[in-house]
Amino acid sequence: MDRQAILNELKLVLEPYTEDKEMLRGINDGTDLVKDLKINSANLVDIIIDAETKYNVEIDLDSAEKMITVGSCIDVIMAKMDR
Amino acid sequence: MMSAGNDIVALEIIDRQRSSQPAFYSKILSAGEQALYRQEDLKEMFFDLFLWLLWSVKESVYKYKKRTSPSLSFCPAKIILQSIDLPSGRSLTDFTGRRWENTGYEEDEFYKGIILFGSEIFYSRSIIHRQLISTVVSSDRSFEGILWGLEMIDQPGYERQSAAVRAFALSKLERIAPGHDWQIIKSPVGYPIVLQGGRETDIPLSLAHHGRFVGYSFLSVPFLSSPSQPAPSQSSPSLPLRPPSQMAARS
Repeated sequence: MDRQAILNELKLVLEPYTEDKEMLRGINDGTDLVKDLKINSANLVDIIIDAETKYNVEIDLDSAEKMITVGSCIDVIMAKMDR
Repeated sequence: MMSAGNDIVALEIIDRQRSSQPAFYSKILSAGEQALYRQEDLKEMFFDLFLWLLWSVKESVYKYKKRTSPSLSFCPAKIILQSIDLPSGRSLTDFTGRRWENTGYEEDEFYKGIILFGSEIFYSRSIIHRQLISTVVSSDRSFEGILWGLEMIDQPGYERQSAAVRAFALSKLERIAPGHDWQIIKSPVGYPIVLQGGRETDIPLSLAHHGRFVGYSFLSVPFLSSPSQPAPSQSSPSLPLRPPSQMAARS
């Protein structure tokens, strides 16, 4: 699965947690989950759990800490899928 | 460097069922904190309440540290609650009225925690109602000079929350020190900066919002505690003003 495919799926993962649907449609690697998508920090664990379920991976604490932008989320998911 | 940290969890909108799943809570709680929950007095709390109490404590510490460590990322399981004292009366009540502002930090209504993050110790005060948990933290166990407030708003939504929490904090600043032309902007990192007459101050402010609730905490520097003091000029040496460098766009 390439980055673009993961990015497209990630939009579906993030959708329940952001009010800014227009911003969500235009996300890229640099989009910050909290600052740009205005996702409440209380939902960050939800997103990690949803990603774990969607990609059948386990995201450890050190990796979860890196999931700040869309790009870093994709990096973590791809690294876990490669294992 | 002085800082501030607070957080709010709107219990009305969290997924309480998911909160009780090990895959979820193990990303927030350390093994030691999970063991702490099994203490006799803590077992009286619903586990999800314990979880979100600790979340709000950890988020508050993170916000406190983010001001001085801009590259810091949030990993809740690395911010460790060492101990917590519970209020004697632990039956949950409704959040009544529109606003709540603290008048002290030793009241029996608070959950009082001690937290270790790296080699630093922090202290927390949390209040829990049926609708929300709110926490404020400090590296000073006396909490001297720290102000903390909560407000319920009519409509949730990011833009409304953001506007309401700024208005609430500004109203508190204005009530303490009227006529100082207070403004709040957001730093590039994301923490709020208090301006006075367009110039940056050293007043550390933390803002939080979730669901229908917004809240502030800030450390009132000495001149703020003297409401009778006239609005000082910008050249006053007593003001904690900084040059207008590193200013960010209004949030």
